[in-house]
Amino acid sequence: MDALSTAFETVSESMGELIDGFYTRAVVGNVDTVGITPYLVWYLIAGGLLVALVMAFKKRCSSEDHVPHGPFVNGVESLVDFIRNDVCRGTLGDTWKSHFPFLATLFLMVLLCNLVGMLPTWKPGSGSTGMTAGIAAMSFFYFVMVGVKVRGGWGYIKSLAPKGVMFPINIVVWAIEVFSTFLRLVTLSVRLFCNMFAGHMVMGVFALMCTIFVEPLFASITAQTLGVASMSILWMVLLVLIYAVELMVAFIQAYVFALLSAVYVQLAEADH
Amino acid sequence: MDLKIFGYALCVIGATISIALTARAAASSMARQPEVQGRLFTVFILAAAFIESLCLIGFVVAIM
Repeated sequence: MDALSTAFETVSESMGELIDGFYTRAVVGNVDTVGITPYLVWYLIAGGLLVALVMAFKKRCSSEDHVPHGPFVNGVESLVDFIRNDVCRGTLGDTWKSHFPFLATLFLMVLLCNLVGMLPTWKPGSGSTGMTAGIAAMSFFYFVMVGVKVRGGWGYIKSLAPKGVMFPINIVVWAIEVFSTFLRLVTLSVRLFCNMFAGHMVMGVFALMCTIFVEPLFASITAQTLGVASMSILWMVLLVLIYAVELMVAFIQAYVFALLSAVYVQLAEADH
Repeated sequence: MDLKIFGYALCVIGATISIALTARAAASSMARQPEVQGRLFTVFILAAAFIESLCLIGFVVAIM
């Protein structure tokens, strides 16, 4: 049992390393001024993968007969179809066509970032508040720009307050609406970051639990250590289950991110 | 016991009850009107995401 207790001690150290991995650190340069963090690198890798995917899709599509065929082309098409119907048409209504490129880019980028983190030893591009805040800021500026374009600058600021409210209460409601508009920036980024952080923490802890029960086996192979080692099979099953859940979460968070952006755009341009 | 863990437990209880209520309402509405299933699914996912984000913020606060 001594081996098991020392294994537990090493786990708490590895736990610290696991949490430590999510703090911002610079690969090149300095964090305080200008530098590149690991998450920016993973984000760029996800971006490169996305470009490669689109290029491969374009090459397959523009082959001689123009008829989509094969699982790859049909898969990408059904994904784009899903974004068009569920995210854009469902929430935006008639003006979906002009916002479709932005929302599709947002969805695919967040999805790729999340999925890159699912590979062992790779990290999600959306795994630090800096990266997610950047993506959320893009969405924020986009819907503010749409609002300004539709109503003009002053018109958009005035449109934040709902019509049909009496004069003094009007201003209070307007202030609350402005506050909640800026809060969207925070909630969008924190939701994505928390999902990625929590998911990877849980997966990391389960993977650690798999290892600690096997460790006594390396010291001596007896009936007792074999019995202890069999515990790790249970943790392995749980790890696989959690991995499946995380794959689902990666997709759902990308969907929620794009859908909320679509809802905000719709609120900015719709008549109150 | 660490008070943070207790706080996270409270957080999970709240989130569980809310998501269960949402899922129950969504399921019963789908049973009544199967034709609005697609739209309802979107609403359900949105509501669940809002609730879940609070729970996850609790997790991060507890672990930091």
